[in-house]
This record gives sequence, C-alpha cells and structure tokens, in this order.
Amino acid sequence: MIQFSGVSKYYEDNVALKDVSFSVEKGDMVFVTGPSGAGKTTLLKLIYRSERPDEGNIIVADWDVGELRQKTIPYLRRNVGIVFQDFRLLNNRTVFENIALALRIHGLHPKEIKEDVADVLKDVDLKHKAHSFPQHLSGGEQQRVVIARAMVSRPTVLLADEPTGNLDSDTSTIIMRLFREINARGTTVLVATHHTELFSGTGRRLIHLKEGKIIKETVG
Amino acid sequence: MRVFLFSLQSAIKNLWLEKWINILTMLTIAVGLLILGSFVLVTLNMDSMLKRWSDGFGLVIYLEENLSTEEEDLLKEYFQKDPDVIEAKYVSKDSALGEFRKTLGTMTSILDGFEKNPLPSSFELKLEREALDPVIIKKKALQIIQLNGVEDVQYGEKWLSSLNTMTKGMKIIVVLLGGIIFIAIAFSTYSTIKILFYRRIDEIGTLKLLGATRGFIRLPFLFEGLFIGTSGGLAGFLGLLAIYYFTTSRIIEFMPAIKGMMIFFPPETYIAAPLAGAVMSLIGSIFAIGKIRY
Repeated sequence: MIQFSGVSKYYEDNVALKDVSFSVEKGDMVFVTGPSGAGKTTLLKLIYRSERPDEGNIIVADWDVGELRQKTIPYLRRNVGIVFQDFRLLNNRTVFENIALALRIHGLHPKEIKEDVADVLKDVDLKHKAHSFPQHLSGGEQQRVVIARAMVSRPTVLLADEPTGNLDSDTSTIIMRLFREINARGTTVLVATHHTELFSGTGRRLIHLKEGKIIKETVG
Repeated sequence: MRVFLFSLQSAIKNLWLEKWINILTMLTIAVGLLILGSFVLVTLNMDSMLKRWSDGFGLVIYLEENLSTEEEDLLKEYFQKDPDVIEAKYVSKDSALGEFRKTLGTMTSILDGFEKNPLPSSFELKLEREALDPVIIKKKALQIIQLNGVEDVQYGEKWLSSLNTMTKGMKIIVVLLGGIIFIAIAFSTYSTIKILFYRRIDEIGTLKLLGATRGFIRLPFLFEGLFIGTSGGLAGFLGLLAIYYFTTSRIIEFMPAIKGMMIFFPPETYIAAPLAGAVMSLIGSIFAIGKIRY
C-alpha cells in the first residue's frame, strides 16, 4: 500500500530524510517514532505529496507520488485521510459541515452526505455535537471530529501526525481505540508519534527514525 | 453540478461574512461606471443634437448662366444617382431671389440697383450622415465642380470640421475613460478577492489536504467577484438613471424648449453596465486567485 525506496529529502543544507526504504502492506497499522526533528512529519508529508522527494520513489496505493502532476494530487489525497495534531478544523463551520466538506469535495449527493456524516459521528461518539462549532469543543472532541472527517470518505490510507500531542492520557486512549477500529475495517493506518505509551504492548510494527534515517524496526 | 451549487452557497455565505469590504468594492465599481456612463450619455446627447443640426446640412451647387433645361436635368439625374445624396433640390434663379428678398426684409431696396437677377440657379444637396465627413465631402465637392454647367460648390467647411472634431474628441475621451475605468474595476475586484483569499488561506490549505481540486477552491471566489461586479454595475446604472431624471427635470424647468430633445440609453443596452462590471470583476478575480499549487 505504501512503499518508500531510497527516499531522501533535503531542506537546503539540512537532511530531513536520508535513503529511507520501507513498505507497509494493505490493512497494516504501523507506528513511526523518533525524537523531534527525526523526520516523522516529513515522511508523512511525502506520502500525501505536500513535499516532493529529492531522491528515490514513493508508491501509495498504486500512485507514483513523486511523479504526480499538480492537477492529479487532489485525487491522491482523496485516498489518504490525514489527522493533524493541530486539528485544522474550520472554525466558521459546524462539526457537521466540517465533516461534510470532505464529501462535498467528492461531489456526493446531499442525502448521502447527511447519512454518511451521521454514521461517522456515531462512530466517534459525537452525534450530539453535530451542530456545535469547533471552538466550543474540548481538544479530545476536536481530534475526534478530525478523525471523523478523515474517515468519512473511506480512504484506503489513514495518516496521523502526533494525533495525541495535546491530549490527556484518557483521551489519547480513546483516540487510539478509534484508530484500531478504523484499521480493523481494512484501512491502512500510519501513526507518527514520539509518545511510546501509544504503541507499547500493542504488538504493532514500529519504525524508528533518527536524524532522517531508519535506525531500526521493532514490534511494540 | 453539486460542486457548482455548493460553491454558490459558499460564495453567498462568504459575501455576507465579509459584507463591508464587498459593499465598499461594489460602491467603487458603481461610482466608476456611473462616471463612465455619464460621459457616454453626454456624448450620446451631443451626437443626437449634432445629428439634428446636420439634418439641414448639405452642398450648394451654383450653376452657370443660361444652362438649358436638358443640362439641368442631366445634373439632377447625376446627383440623384449618388448614394450619399438623400435629396437634390433645384432652386431656380427666381426662387433664389424670392428667398433672398425674404431674408432682406425691409432692405430689399438694395436689390433695385441690379438690372437683372444677379443670383444663379442652384441645386441644394442633402447628404447621408455618413457622408458628412470633411474628407468625403471635400472629395465630392471637387468631383462636382468638374461637371459641365457647374459654376461653384459651397458648403460650411469650417463648421463641419468643428462639429466632427468635437464629436470625435468626446468619443476619444469616452474610450480612454472607459479603458481607465474598466482597468480600475478589475483592479478593485482583484484587491478585494486577494484580501479575501488571504483571509481564508488556512481554509484553502485544509481544502487542499482534503483533496479539493483547483476548480472547487476557485469557484466560490469567482462567484463572489461576479456578484460584486454585477451588483456594482447595476447600482451604477440605477444611480445614472436617477441622476438623469433629476437633472433633466431641473433643466426643463429653466429651458422648456429642450423637452424631448434629451435622450437616455435605449432599453436594450441597460444590461451593459452590469455586464461590464461582471466581466471586469471576473477578470480581476481570476488574476487575484492566481495559480493554486499543492
């Protein structure tokens, strides 16, 4: 589903990633870990083509990401759900509208949008907050909205960049449970985090990054 | 179609959220088109008045003495065949003298010194409006004077030249002003849409990450630009209409003779101002959004 082959990325003279190779099979749930500045965020950005590799190839769900033309990028991103640490919700739109936006981009019928958003809100246990605005929600609730938005269009890959960065441990547990449920439905999940408690004891594959290089692969 | 409707809804919502900057831009466009419309209207009225005056304008062809009726008929036939000639009126020596006497009124005694009628017979040619160009008319006069039996050709050369210069001058002003105002409209909308675009840069970033195409991102901004331009054009037109009726009613109070002479744009051109506003604003919006990169 995701394949990196000798990928390097430089920001002027700084090495963000150097000769990174790994693959993630369809339906896997993998953690990318490492200290701040290890290259976790760059790795995710390369997957959804926010950045372009300077060396190497990246294949995501049969898309040769490095060779994509500008006008094709949106279609790759429709297959990749993204969960950010800073949420990136639109504060002038309700929870419902924020989630529905992902489906409007796909051009779905309003009736389908209504049904799908209701379903996903039920999954993240936020049905009662459908008409609230993001700034009136707690951090955990906002993150659940982001997960709902990323999942509503049923992407093949879900990426999460420090999804529990600003959340307490109870809320983090809820968020991780959601990721496991999403993965159980067949979605490939890649979580970048430096919080070891999120993956310890999970039995999931861990990719350790340091200074832009994969230093080891272990099991959590 | 769904994306189109959603973009329209977003545009309406955003127009309301950013109403003050939008109203300001709309008013700027309205004032610009109002000024341009006023100049066009003044030119239109000048042109209409010039047309009234020039209806009586033509060439006077003085004939040689003792021309036979056949020769006069030949000349008349020549003039009538000319497509630029609306009417060729023959004025006999006697008619010319009669007219002259009327003009002199009580001073007809000055004609008593002449033993015979000193005035020549003539043709008065009324010309098509298109032919009332100093170059065309001069060429025509030179051709006519070569004809057998023609003594002289006269027309108000200077007067005609002045009329033409005035009309052309106004038309040039309108074209230049139109160009400036059209660019100003496009720039005004460009600035507004640019500001709105930057205010929503976070939202655009999120849309890009969710897989929105360039069209999906651009469309609401284009609708906003289109609405601002169209409503600005409409407001400018309504303002011009109000000013026209107010001004004409005040002028007629002082100059009743002018009643019926002043004209407004024909109804089929009413769409011109909203259309001009819409097109120029759309151009401004397209440039403001620029190229969207992922």
